[in-house]
Amino acid sequence: MSATVAVAADWRTRSAKQTRLAFGQALLELGAREPRTVVVSADTQDLLGIRQYIERYRDRFVELGIAEQNAIGVASGLATTGLRPYVCAYAPFITARSMEQVRNDVAYANQRVVIGAAASGISLGVAGGTHHALEDLALMRSLPNMTVIVPADVDEAYRATLATLDIDGPVYLRLGGRTEEPTVSDPEAPFRLGEAVQLRPGNDIAVIACGALVEMAVRASDQLLRAGINVRVLNMHTIKPLDRDAVLAAAAETGLIVTAEEHHLTGGLGGAVAELLAVELPTRMHMIGMPDTFAMVGPTVALRAKYGMSAEAIADACRALLGSA
Amino acid sequence: MQETRGNLLKRLEGEARQIRRNVWRALRAGGGGHAGGSLSAADILAALYFHRLRIRPSEPEWPERDRFVLSKGHANAALGAVLAQAGFIDDAVLDRFYGFESPFGMHPDIKVAGVEMCTGALGHGLAVATGMALGARIQKQTFHTFVMLGDGELHEGSNWEAAMAGAHYRLSNLTAIVDHNKISQSGRVEEIISVDPLADKWRAFGWEVREIDGHDMPDVVDALGALPFHPDRPSALIAHTVKGKGVSFAENTYLWHSNNVNDEILERALAELRP
Repeated sequence: MSATVAVAADWRTRSAKQTRLAFGQALLELGAREPRTVVVSADTQDLLGIRQYIERYRDRFVELGIAEQNAIGVASGLATTGLRPYVCAYAPFITARSMEQVRNDVAYANQRVVIGAAASGISLGVAGGTHHALEDLALMRSLPNMTVIVPADVDEAYRATLATLDIDGPVYLRLGGRTEEPTVSDPEAPFRLGEAVQLRPGNDIAVIACGALVEMAVRASDQLLRAGINVRVLNMHTIKPLDRDAVLAAAAETGLIVTAEEHHLTGGLGGAVAELLAVELPTRMHMIGMPDTFAMVGPTVALRAKYGMSAEAIADACRALLGSA
Repeated sequence: MQETRGNLLKRLEGEARQIRRNVWRALRAGGGGHAGGSLSAADILAALYFHRLRIRPSEPEWPERDRFVLSKGHANAALGAVLAQAGFIDDAVLDRFYGFESPFGMHPDIKVAGVEMCTGALGHGLAVATGMALGARIQKQTFHTFVMLGDGELHEGSNWEAAMAGAHYRLSNLTAIVDHNKISQSGRVEEIISVDPLADKWRAFGWEVREIDGHDMPDVVDALGALPFHPDRPSALIAHTVKGKGVSFAENTYLWHSNNVNDEILERALAELRP
C-alpha cells in the first residue's frame, strides 16, 4: 500500500467538500513532504482554501494580488530556481487572461509550475459569462508539455494534487466551485496519471466523462442497467496525456462512445476523444457538454441541466446512439 | 593583481565593440534582424557579463549564479554575442543565426546555455525576474537578478503588475535596466505612446531609480557597482541610449529596429566598428 493511500484516508477526516478546497488541503501535505513547495496566490486565499498552508508555511507563500499574468510569470521564475510553485487561481482568469504567460513562461520554457484552477466550467453560474471557464481545457490541452487533469470529486482532487509531485513539467489542475460532487473515485486507489478509471463495466456502449459529469455518467449507467443496457463508464481524469488504450478499447469493444464534460463541445475531452478515434478507429459518437453559446445566469445545477449536462441527458444520448446503431 | 579602473574600462569598451561586431555578423548570417535594440544594449551587456555578473560560463546552471533576463528578447543577437564572448556557447553559433535547428532564432530560448528564459514576447521578463528574486530570498541564496527591458516594451501592462510586486516584496536583489533608446518598431516611443515621465513612474511604483548614459562606460560601471540603490527597494536603472548605437546609418531610426543585412551593409557596419 503506497503512502498516497494512507494520506488519502487521513485527509478524508478533514472533510473538504469541494475540489478547490481539497487542493488547498493537499498543499498542506505537499508543504510537509516537499520543502521546495511554494504556493502562489492571486488574491485567492479562501477560494483554494490555503489559509492553513499560509499559517504553517509563511516563508513559502507568495501573494501577488489580482494580477494573473504576473502570477504565472513569477511562478515560472520561482520554478527556474528549483522551487515547485503551485498557483492558486480562478480558472477563467488564469487561462484566458494569462494565456501568453502560460504558453511562453511555463509551457514553452517547460517549467514545473502547477496551476490549481478553481471555479472552472459554469461553477460560478450566477456570476455570469464573464466568470465561466468553458474553453480552459481547449486552451491548456493545445499546449505542448502541459499535463491537464480534471478530478471528479474531492478525494480525486486531493490525490491528483499529491500526484503532481512526480510530474516533471507544467500541470493544469481543473477544480470546481461551490458545488459538492458526490464521491465516485475509490479513495483506496492511488491516482495514476494518464490512466482512465473504469467505474462501471459494460460492452453495449461507453461513456467517457470527466469532472462533475463522471457521477452523472455513473447514474446514467445504473439507470440503463435496469433496462438491460450495459454502459461502460470511464472516469477520464487526465485529459492530457489522454489514455489512448482505454479509449480505443472502449471503442473496439462497444462500438459506441458518449463523452461528457462541463466544457464547450469544442476542444475539450470530447474533442480529444474524437481526434483520436477519427484517426485510429472511427466510431459513432455523441458529445455531451456546453453547446456553442455563452451560458445564461443561474445556479450551476440548473444551468447544467438546461444545457444538457445531466444523468438524464447522458442516458438519453446512450439510448439514441443504441437505437440508431 | 587588481585591475586598474583604466584597464577595466578599456577592456569593457573592447568587449562592447566586439559585441557590436558580432551582432552584425550574426544578423548577416540570419539575413537581417533587430540591429537597433541590440546595439543600444551592447555597452550595458559588456559591463554586466565581463564585470558585474557573478557567473561561471563552464557551469551555466550554477545555482548561485546571478541571473540576467533579456526581456526585450528581440536583442537576441546581442545576447548571443555576449554569451559567445563569455564562453557560454561556441563562437561558431553566431554564423548560424536563424539556421535550421540553430539554437538562436530571433528570440532567446532557455535551452541555450546561459539563457535564463524564453523571452521576446514583451512584458514577460520582469515578472519572471521577480520570481527568480523571490526564489533567491525563499532559499536564502545571495544571487542578484537583472532584467533588461525596452522602453517601448513598457507599454505592456504586465510590467507594471510585476513592478508593484517587486516593490511590495522590497526586492533589493532585483534590478530592472531600461534600455531607453526612445524608438520602437514604428517610430519614436513618445509619439507612439509616451512612457514619460519614466523615472517618476518607477519611483511612484516604489523603486529606487538612477539614470545614466547607457553608452558611457564609467557611468555604467559605477551604476552597476552601486547596486542595490536602496537596501529595501528594487533598483531601476534607466539607461539613456541611442538605437543602433555605433553605426552611423543605423543610429536613431526606427528603420533599423529590424532590417535586412547583406554583405555590403555588413562591410559598412564593421568599417565603423574597427578597434
